[in-house]
Amino acid sequence: MKKIIALLACLLAGSFLFAEEVTLMNYAQPQEKEIIDKVITRFEQTHPGITVKMITVTQDQYTAKFQAAMSANTMPDVFYVGPESVRKYADYGKLLKLTDYVKTAKGVDFNDLYEKAVDTYRYDGTTIGKGDIYALPKDFGPFAFAYNKTLFQKYGIPLPDKDVPYTWDEFTKVCQQLTRDTNGDGKDDTYGTGLNIHWSFIQFVWGNGTDFLDPTHTKVTITDPKFVETLQYFADMTLKLHMTPSNEQAQSMDTYQRWLKGDLGFFPAGPWDLAAFKNLPFDFDLIPWPVHYKGTKTATFRGGVGYGVSSSTKHPKEAAELALYLSADKEANTMFCDLDLQIPNLKSLAPRYLAKGRPANREEYLQIIQDYGRSWPFDYTYDRVWYDEFWIGVQDVLDGKVSAKEYCEKMEPRMQKLLDRSNKKMESSLKKK
Amino acid sequence: MADTVVLNKRKKWNDEAKWGLVFAMLPVVEFLLFTAGPFIFSILASFTNWNSMGDHDFVGLDNYKELFADPRFWKSLWNTFFYMIGIPIGMFWALFLALSFNRNMRGVKVFRVIYYIPVVSSIVAISILWRWLYNGDYGLLNQFLEWAFGIKGPNWMYNEATVKPGIMAMAVWKGVGFTALLYLGGLQNLPSSYYEAAYVDGASPFTIFRKITWPLMRPITFFIVITGIIGGAQMIVEPQIMTDNGGPNYSAATIVFYIWEKAFSSADAKGYACAASWILAIIIFVVTAIQFKFGPESDNYLE
Repeated sequence: MKKIIALLACLLAGSFLFAEEVTLMNYAQPQEKEIIDKVITRFEQTHPGITVKMITVTQDQYTAKFQAAMSANTMPDVFYVGPESVRKYADYGKLLKLTDYVKTAKGVDFNDLYEKAVDTYRYDGTTIGKGDIYALPKDFGPFAFAYNKTLFQKYGIPLPDKDVPYTWDEFTKVCQQLTRDTNGDGKDDTYGTGLNIHWSFIQFVWGNGTDFLDPTHTKVTITDPKFVETLQYFADMTLKLHMTPSNEQAQSMDTYQRWLKGDLGFFPAGPWDLAAFKNLPFDFDLIPWPVHYKGTKTATFRGGVGYGVSSSTKHPKEAAELALYLSADKEANTMFCDLDLQIPNLKSLAPRYLAKGRPANREEYLQIIQDYGRSWPFDYTYDRVWYDEFWIGVQDVLDGKVSAKEYCEKMEPRMQKLLDRSNKKMESSLKKK
Repeated sequence: MADTVVLNKRKKWNDEAKWGLVFAMLPVVEFLLFTAGPFIFSILASFTNWNSMGDHDFVGLDNYKELFADPRFWKSLWNTFFYMIGIPIGMFWALFLALSFNRNMRGVKVFRVIYYIPVVSSIVAISILWRWLYNGDYGLLNQFLEWAFGIKGPNWMYNEATVKPGIMAMAVWKGVGFTALLYLGGLQNLPSSYYEAAYVDGASPFTIFRKITWPLMRPITFFIVITGIIGGAQMIVEPQIMTDNGGPNYSAATIVFYIWEKAFSSADAKGYACAASWILAIIIFVVTAIQFKFGPESDNYLE
């Protein structure tokens, strides 16, 4: 009898320990994890009775483990959600709406987050960008354009304006001036730029006032003459305009190596690059991406990932507030800023971030987050299968084997078919629910 | 007194038989849980729209129809069978190695080990290493070509014409030690009387090889071809690690890579991936059945 009572007592005590637990699943570098641990401690202090259990996995295992948890209905309470997944997860009812919870949370200021940043994770049932909040930003990856100041000064080329983007004509001329043979051996030693089409093409598309999809995000518009001329311009940078290394030289990502050596005039730079760029043998700074005509607004992608909350969580209020803490906790964001791990998510920390110096125009990142950064086209659709199709044969355009017009005309119906199929599948799946 | 097993030899189901049944049930249960169960689930799933969101609605033959209409599916099948050209290449190289190993020279054991090390090395680690070897700007291969012949090598993994041969070379290199070992075992078991008789009759080494060694190696060759095709049809790690997204123009992707992409990437169509897996299974089954029909009649290589 005594044994039974003792056992019951232990179970009761144990159940107290396990009660009110909120699980968080993420991947983080050791420095990030330390900071997140501190956020969790602060959260547990302001939320007595709640313990947070953090499940850390590696980045490449994350999707697999998360999908497995989702299929088994054992989702963690708080987890990473990429902007491209919001629509699908929300329509399937997997994400908790956070709109009301963020208004009443204490100890963090929701209004200190960049509005446009939060909008990335808003969804009204049809379009991303407005409506209820389904996730809160963890960080951003604004992809800015950088230039090699030292090279410009060496060749006596006037420096670019930090607010007014180049037009394509101006950009071409400057790149051609930067592409030259400095030691007389017949081979060029420095180049204007060398861009990878996967990351640095869409900025030119947007800078020409067009996009992969129409404003309803249901129709593929790559046969739009403006899109075709952008693709042709991008290919011609290497084929005709003598602005970049040749294709044999640039087929891999190694224009990056050339940039690191100081042989390129322009190259993209995300905030994650800054740590590697600390010891570059030249001075560099950030500028807006070029646009086709004067007056067009510059654009690039905002990137990043968010914290979402499972709709089947047993503690919606606490889980939502944990997501908000992880996103907007002031001390954590200050530490992220000081260690240069990411751009702080809070507007009030902007001056602190800007004061960090090189590159001098760090403000460009904040402008991307707050102003001209955009979501990827596939963030607006259920999956990116239609988008990935575009890249399969694009090397032929870059090699000059096929014209941009031919290629786009060939690919548009294929991409449209894939997009239609994914929309139809979603419709029929959701109808059955 | 402790319980003892009652060995009543007259009853059929005595204690010993009961315990025997319990022990025999364990692998049966394991088979049902981990092989038969998933098998059946996968067949059924191939007729549904199963994905990671929890859908499991019956869609009939839609997955199969979509599969046959997808050019990427056919391309990946073509790539997979193209890679199998490496099987005869590896086989002949391995036989040549085995003939070389089959000597009593000093140091031959060292070479056997050296050739076998890639076989037991992690395929992932080797793929990563070879990816760097093939790098267009900094890879050792192109550096060697420049130094030895003065030619600028292509960017192997990004060039449609060189990506498959490149991956094939790596796969052949990795497996040749194992195949050589199989052949070596076969060679060492051959009775030397055949060779002595041939020598006495004045046969040239080439004739000896053609009329004695090669035919006697046929069961081993048969085994290598069968397992090579079955294994080669399931190649995934090499294209996955050595190329991005299936290579330039999807020219390096194998069928299992296609299945993996559809199941676990953005497409998120696990039921569809099951359908593709079953098509692959049927192809392997048919090819193997054909091979058995035309293979050697007996396992005894002395006949």
